[in-house]
Amino acid sequence: MSREGKAYRRIAVFGGIYNNYLALEATLEDTRRRGVEAVFCLGDMGAFGPHPDRVFPLLECGNVLAIQGNYDESLAIGLDNCQCGYTDPRDNTFARLSYEYTFQRTAPENKAWLSRLPTHRRVILGEHRLLMCHGSPRRINEFLWESTSPHCLLEKLCRDFAADVLLCTHTGIKWHRALDGDRHTINVGTIGRPENDGQVNVWYTLLTAGDSLEVEFVPVHYDYETLAREMEQENLPVEFIETIQTGWWTTCLEILPAKERARGKF
Amino acid sequence: MTTPTAPLLELSTLWIQVTGTWCNLTCTHCLNSSGPHNPWLKSLDTEMVIHSIKEGADLGIKEIYYTGGEPFLHKDMLLLIAHALEVAPTTVLTNGTLITDEVADHLAALAQNSLYSLEIRVSIDDVDPKKNDRIRGKGVFVKAVRALELLYSRGLLPIVTATEILTDELPEGSEMYQRFRDFLLSLGITKPRVKIMPVLPTGRMEGQGGPLITPDMLHGFDFSLLQCSETRVVAEGGVYACPILAGLPGARLSTQTLKEALKPCNLYHTACVICYETGMTCKN
Repeated sequence: MSREGKAYRRIAVFGGIYNNYLALEATLEDTRRRGVEAVFCLGDMGAFGPHPDRVFPLLECGNVLAIQGNYDESLAIGLDNCQCGYTDPRDNTFARLSYEYTFQRTAPENKAWLSRLPTHRRVILGEHRLLMCHGSPRRINEFLWESTSPHCLLEKLCRDFAADVLLCTHTGIKWHRALDGDRHTINVGTIGRPENDGQVNVWYTLLTAGDSLEVEFVPVHYDYETLAREMEQENLPVEFIETIQTGWWTTCLEILPAKERARGKF
Repeated sequence: MTTPTAPLLELSTLWIQVTGTWCNLTCTHCLNSSGPHNPWLKSLDTEMVIHSIKEGADLGIKEIYYTGGEPFLHKDMLLLIAHALEVAPTTVLTNGTLITDEVADHLAALAQNSLYSLEIRVSIDDVDPKKNDRIRGKGVFVKAVRALELLYSRGLLPIVTATEILTDELPEGSEMYQRFRDFLLSLGITKPRVKIMPVLPTGRMEGQGGPLITPDMLHGFDFSLLQCSETRVVAEGGVYACPILAGLPGARLSTQTLKEALKPCNLYHTACVICYETGMTCKN
């Protein structure tokens, strides 16, 4: 329950920071301008980008209410892999590089902070009961892509977990599906890397209580060139840098279902 | 010794063995001994398949897979794919030899008109035509590659599935994987998708397996690593625990409904050890 039972009217939700502290700064600034009552992060602070520890003070100063993603859980308990859930050798190779970099450069106190995060949050927005999770309510690293999340599954998840609105991330591409009975599933996207559409901006989600639930995906423009330079200085894979500079995914795309893969360049 | 069991954690994947073990090929490593003559497991009626899809939808499944045998031998296969795609993302496992221009056109239209992804998995076991055809049959390589080209040229992104029958590489099979990727790129398939599967000690490879799973092996084990913890298969004779063992009496959980099969299954087969040890999945 939010704020001792009081319902929110307007909140911002994002996922997947992936060490992209510059996008996080820009996102938080944007949410302030829009007068949200609370900001939520659905996990995966680390991965992909440079300087993992720069994310944590921003989350704290911004009063961001976070939950654990698979990456956060792995870092918190010292696992040797990110539990991203990839099945393809090429995806796993890049995931390993990214995780090793982040693991080595995340301070113990930040790992401890991650370990204290909840895995879910329940919030009231207007008349809606929201359930926030990372992958899906039933598994932290389940991929809920738009083209592989059938109505029958989403309705079952809403039913089983007593929620009107499911909020998730993990895949890196946003989408919204309205279900019968004014229920919804929203993948809030990620702010850590662009979403494979040839645009360099990232996205977060604004939710407003009205006569019906208002869902707005907000593009965030940030200093991606500086991020790319810093990634270069940190010797991160050129493939990661290319994605930041072009908006096309070059790695971890074997997991994409046919429809989402077809929309990308690679 | 008591046979250990695996719980069903959630029903996520519905497999439909639509043509039983009826296939136009006789691959030497086939996991369920499919072939053209007297298939030991018969095809499913169209109505039965449609009923199973509906039952799966009522239970909140996440995805549907068609397998066989060769699914495109079923007289209503395109219709059945259409039915599945109305409900959930759908994958078809095929040898590719029956994918003509006309079939590819139909599949592209079905994919285009669905909210959900349609995945076509085409089996090829080696990028060398001679080696491949020694396993899969004369002339099969050319037909399978033609299928890939027909599908890709229509915007579908086929997944090539290869078994490790012709390689002694480690299970991760990265060299084999790279060989396939390079081959697909050489065909102009710029979004190459490859899935490597181990050879399973079932069907024509029965008897190649080692020990069985013991109860001790399951202490503290994460059952979500076994596909039978989230999968059920509809095939002739009922509902089975996993696609590898579909049709075998030991894997049958119900002779009637899918709902009745939502219960633990026996880990009784040597093939269960492959899943246990590798965490492999027949899914994409």
